[in-house]
Amino acid sequence: MKPSPRLWQQVHAWFFGGTSDRWLAALRIGLGLQLVLYCITSRADWLQMFTLHPGSFVTRDLTEALVTLGAALVPRVSWFISAGEFIGLSEATILWVVWSVLLAAGLCLVAGIFCRSAAIAAWFLHLSAIKSSALLSYGVDNFTSIGLFYLMLSPLPDHLALDSRWRKWPPKSAQLQSFWQRVLQLHLCVIYFFSGLTKLLGSGWWNGESLWRALTRPPFDMVSSEVLIHGKYLFIPLGLGICLLETSYPIFIWPRRTRLIWLVGIIAMHGAIAVLMGLYLFGLIMAVLNIAAFGIDLFRLHGKKVI
Amino acid sequence: MRFQRAYLIGFALHFFLLVTVASRDFFAVLADGSSYLPAALEPHWRVLEDATFTVLGQKLPPNNPMRETIAFYLHAAGIEAGYGYFAPNVPYSYKLVFQLTYPNGTTEYELPTVGTPETGMRLPTLLDFIAANRYEPLRQLILKMLAYSVWQHHRDALKIRAVFGAVITPSIAGYKRGDEPTYAVVCAYDFGFTKTEPPRP
Repeated sequence: MKPSPRLWQQVHAWFFGGTSDRWLAALRIGLGLQLVLYCITSRADWLQMFTLHPGSFVTRDLTEALVTLGAALVPRVSWFISAGEFIGLSEATILWVVWSVLLAAGLCLVAGIFCRSAAIAAWFLHLSAIKSSALLSYGVDNFTSIGLFYLMLSPLPDHLALDSRWRKWPPKSAQLQSFWQRVLQLHLCVIYFFSGLTKLLGSGWWNGESLWRALTRPPFDMVSSEVLIHGKYLFIPLGLGICLLETSYPIFIWPRRTRLIWLVGIIAMHGAIAVLMGLYLFGLIMAVLNIAAFGIDLFRLHGKKVI
Repeated sequence: MRFQRAYLIGFALHFFLLVTVASRDFFAVLADGSSYLPAALEPHWRVLEDATFTVLGQKLPPNNPMRETIAFYLHAAGIEAGYGYFAPNVPYSYKLVFQLTYPNGTTEYELPTVGTPETGMRLPTLLDFIAANRYEPLRQLILKMLAYSVWQHHRDALKIRAVFGAVITPSIAGYKRGDEPTYAVVCAYDFGFTKTEPPRP
């Protein structure tokens, strides 16, 4: 059965309606910043996270064996180690090279220099790093990976990138800009819908216990229980509010009237997670993805068309 | 127009995989009985979860090219896992304590140490994995690695006992009653290391 021409036109117009590239600039700069902070914060433990030498938290070969079970093509740090050892470099040297190139890729993304190459390098190195340290990875790595995957495929460079300014490259296709922004928007809708729906199935999110436990669970207990207990009456409404905010995100993030409320609510939630649980990088990546997907067109600049 | 159609087909495949993975993890939560839905429905959720395994090629032999390709794509796009963070309920946290015994009989206690608070936020993933893993030799191997990383800083220790347990924090009502967090031991292993093993570089 063929879709009707009218339906096809609507789908086509929705995906390829055209938009400015400001969302891509926000995604590029945000992800670049995220990578720089990832490198800085993991620097002290970098060797211990990836070395094969006994004395690491969990040796790289064990983690990679677990991750690549049934997924042998997944990139990993061992590939770089093997290549480097072939030309006589030590494991530690190669690990620092990987760290340095990842940092450089992050800085290039922030500045907008060699955008496409930097995005590909960042995606590949970051993916390799998080797969080789999968037993020490959490949501932030997964979401950074998602963002880098879309960034790498999107029509770079955006007009704010130094690449565009120095080389005077013409703007990329507005149709493709809107297509990739739509993909990111729909992905966020799936993320929040399933996250909210799964929470709604647990009794703990209805009676406030899950929120309490999340905030008192080591090592995320940044605020003492003595302080938290003063807000005990807020746990039920806040817990339910989180579930409803997330589950209804795919509905209320689209209309202009409710978009600002849902966006501010979601970013405030991630801000609170960052401050109260110490998950600063997680808060940053979620803010970056949300702002790039839905936030940037709330700030109309230069009268450019927005979606 | 043709390139746009190709983009849309690519998106449809990508979105299908994304939703299938998210559904797989959602059905897994329902099937393992951790939600408040009736237990009688659990076999049905298991069937649905099973169907997503089939769709994602996870029932094919490990070296099957189709399975490898799908798995690679899922990892590359960052969509290999669902989005049930802290759901349906927030799990217990786990703690690992090392008891170091010295030749003169004295004992010391150590926790796994990391260089930055950010890495500290990553340790729960490892501890959750140890707790969820039921394969005893793997659990023991990981704990031995962690014990060895501690021994690197205490090379005079004769023996290290790794005690792994769940930290059960009190509920809101329990906290108001004055309950304290309790520590329930899950497993404990003794490890001995000799100084002939090379120090960390």
